[in-house]
Amino acid sequence: MTAVNDVEARVRAVMHDVSRQDTTSIGPDDDLVEVLGVDSLQGLQVLAGVEKRFGIRLPDEELIHLRTIGRIADAVRRAQSAEEVP
Amino acid sequence: MRIGLIAMSGVRVRTEELAKLGVTLPQFVSRGKVIASLPSLGLLTVAGLTPPDCEVVYREIAEVDSATAIEPFDLVGISSFTAQIDEAYALADRYRAAGVPVVLGGLHVSLMPDEAATHADSIVVNGAEGAWPALIEDFRAGQMRPRYDGLRTRVFDDANYVMPRFELMAGRPYNRMTVQTSRGCPLDCEFCAASIRITSGYQQKPVERVVAEIRRALDVRKQPFFEFADDNTFVNKKWGKALLRAIEPLGIRWFTETDISIADDEELLDLLADSGCRQLLIGLESPGRDGLAGIDPHNWKQDRSGNYLRAIDRIQSRGITVNGCFILGLDTHTPAIFESVQDFVRRSGLLEVQLTVQTPFPGTPLYRRLHTERRLLAERFWDRCTLFDVTFQPKHMSVGELESGLRWLFGEVYNAREFLARKRNYMEIVKARMN
Repeated sequence: MTAVNDVEARVRAVMHDVSRQDTTSIGPDDDLVEVLGVDSLQGLQVLAGVEKRFGIRLPDEELIHLRTIGRIADAVRRAQSAEEVP
Repeated sequence: MRIGLIAMSGVRVRTEELAKLGVTLPQFVSRGKVIASLPSLGLLTVAGLTPPDCEVVYREIAEVDSATAIEPFDLVGISSFTAQIDEAYALADRYRAAGVPVVLGGLHVSLMPDEAATHADSIVVNGAEGAWPALIEDFRAGQMRPRYDGLRTRVFDDANYVMPRFELMAGRPYNRMTVQTSRGCPLDCEFCAASIRITSGYQQKPVERVVAEIRRALDVRKQPFFEFADDNTFVNKKWGKALLRAIEPLGIRWFTETDISIADDEELLDLLADSGCRQLLIGLESPGRDGLAGIDPHNWKQDRSGNYLRAIDRIQSRGITVNGCFILGLDTHTPAIFESVQDFVRRSGLLEVQLTVQTPFPGTPLYRRLHTERRLLAERFWDRCTLFDVTFQPKHMSVGELESGLRWLFGEVYNAREFLARKRNYMEIVKARMN
């Protein structure tokens, strides 16, 4: 599994834990509200779970835009890169 | 026989400046959309009370506006609340002009029956239980009376209870479903215009009936968010715990309204979290003890106000958000109230906030008092009963001060920065609860 896919897989696992739904068929660009029926609080629970699992902090101003697995994974990678900068 | 049941939904703020401000504030827009997208549980209950050999058609007001042709119904039932009652009357007049008999019901009609009767062939006062079946029988016999009084007590007893017809929501875009677990509230706040006005006492639905309704709703809609259409769900803590244990296995997400005493019981709070409760709406009304004097006959809320901050923290630490409700323009309020509320909201860490202006809905003790004191700004102002428009002369400030203070507070509480800060606060609470 590539690093890119690994991040997405781990995001997908968090989403499954929160929504209690099968997330394997969710595409990286699928809107979680429309496809999974995730409500606003569940969306925040997903993001909190992602922060906890990856040990990162997502920028507050990005939170309301993180509605797809692809966008969340991108934000995770950016946060990881930022934290690696000496 | 074909019966059309028409639901009114959505509220438009009348004060132009506030309306313009509201559409730019993210959290205000967010909750407004939710409220406007709830199905009418009252009409689904009316449908349940209708004999099975009648065809029942559920319509939203937007589907039967003046540009739409009159549907061929044998009878139309319309339920509305005060702010939209004039639109409901206009719709009723239109159907009647086309020869379709109209029945009006709901809270406003129950509180203003003489007014409503001038726009209807019949009215239903109080709940539909105990009234609608007799009305249909009489209508079929050509003997419909001008008024039917529904039950004020024992509405959940075997003889009177019906399952709401959730299947009428199939294929509709609702992602929220409403279920009622109780009717009334023992606090009897002066301003309250909710189900307390059509009941004679606090009534709770048997737990097994609530579970059955949730299961039926789940047959219609995949993973909806449930709103309990109650005014104060957890008055009886023992019953509340039984309810929570019963719904926990259903795996639902839900919201309800209750009072601050829920935070007194740690076991109840744990059960709330385990059962999928996402948010509690609690009427805090005013941030300090002085502001709450006279809100309810026994000053129950005033006595509890010293525990507000601790109670909010205890509830939210379970990952359940508190939607703290404040009413601006109480008789105890001076222009200093707006900064007080802003300060309380910040200190409390409330994850949701509802700000409204005190509204003397017709039929309430508040209306009668302000009418007696000649403080109502107009004789008839139903379209301004939106909870955001000022309709009375405040005691310790001018109308203008109340309106401008409300706009200022909206801007301070509902702006994007505060919206994000609340989201971040919630995420930190969730993370702290994760292993």
